[in-house]
Amino acid sequence: MRRLGELEAEIMDRLWTWDRPATVREIVDDINRRRPAAYTTVMTVATILYDKGWLTRRKQGQAWLYTPVRSREAYSAALMEDALGASRDRSAALVHFVERMTDEEVAALREALRATGRGGEL
Amino acid sequence: MNAAPAFLGYAAAVGVLAPRLLLRSSWPQRAPLLAVAVWFALAASFSVCVQLAAAHLTTPGAHLHGILYSCRAALGLGGEPDAATGPSWGLVALVVLAAAHLTGFAFHAVRAYAARARHRDVLDKVGRPSARLRATVVDHAEPAAYCLPGRRPRVVVSSGAVDALSHDELGAVVEHERAHIHGRHHLVLAAAHAFAWIFPGLPLARHLREQIPLLLEMAADDRALRRSPQNALATAMFTLASGRAPRGALAVGGETVLIRLKRVLVPPRSAHPALRCTVGTGALMAPLLPVLLTCHAGLG
Repeated sequence: MRRLGELEAEIMDRLWTWDRPATVREIVDDINRRRPAAYTTVMTVATILYDKGWLTRRKQGQAWLYTPVRSREAYSAALMEDALGASRDRSAALVHFVERMTDEEVAALREALRATGRGGEL
Repeated sequence: MNAAPAFLGYAAAVGVLAPRLLLRSSWPQRAPLLAVAVWFALAASFSVCVQLAAAHLTTPGAHLHGILYSCRAALGLGGEPDAATGPSWGLVALVVLAAAHLTGFAFHAVRAYAARARHRDVLDKVGRPSARLRATVVDHAEPAAYCLPGRRPRVVVSSGAVDALSHDELGAVVEHERAHIHGRHHLVLAAAHAFAWIFPGLPLARHLREQIPLLLEMAADDRALRRSPQNALATAMFTLASGRAPRGALAVGGETVLIRLKRVLVPPRSAHPALRCTVGTGALMAPLLPVLLTCHAGLG
């Protein structure tokens, strides 16, 4: 069985790409073009996403129309803020490639690189 | 004879003098993982010493054999503790300090685990996994890279980093992050945080908490250099470190990038095997020393 998270990602990805409200039926049909997925499973996961605050919905006839609460860009920005932000405790949670430097530090770095004779490459 | 003053003296040496010596020496840059082991050996040595000192202060005249005897008695393995050891307050001190260590580690490990789980939940919806890069790409203009260690690990690069870095440079970055994941560096960091949490204000704890992250970065750099060219890692480091700092994120660790870059560009000689052996043996002996001391005191 696929992980729940994977199906959540598939649903969000479609709604962001389509950029319009959609029904569970539309989403299921689109997923089914690649692989089989049960309507009830997708409906359950869509409800979970609604409960978690990722989707809003309004009734259209018999069906719910789902819309992402925020754009993918907004979530990405918040995610990066969380990853790169100034929280003191993140270090054990997320391991960074490098910390950001101030302008003075960048200048010192350039100087150091020049001293090692490789400044020209950077 | 009460050996408590000897323990306190030893603890002071390990807690205050030893970190100064270690900070001044240059070999840790050449053998970062060995240096990590030495820092933790000092930490273990200090902890053992404090526990034994507490045991001796609360139970004058007792020695390690007595304590071991009490342990056996408490576990129901030995006979009745004799009257000389009395109600073993030393044992209580031992248990309390040991429990503090475990609690500290569990607290920091679990908190970091929860933060990663929240982050991963969003990442898996927002990011796009790339088999070619062996990483998850997040749409974000600013060049950035980091990893989520632990179970179900992720290496994350921003689309800005993908645009700004060459194929080789991205390879070096991903290799560096995978080194953190494979090395379980997050557990080492949790242990460092736990030690600093138990002994706030202790120079050894403060320096350990600062040095361990840097040494782990160096170890990951070394591992990345096994597969990636020096220049690729150095240019990637420079590009990602000099990018616009995000709002609220201050470049506290900036100077560590400088140290790492110099080290990548002008690699220090690798540590001599004799040095590794000596330092390794010392690291192994450090936590045992107070125990040997207590035996001697006990016999004397």
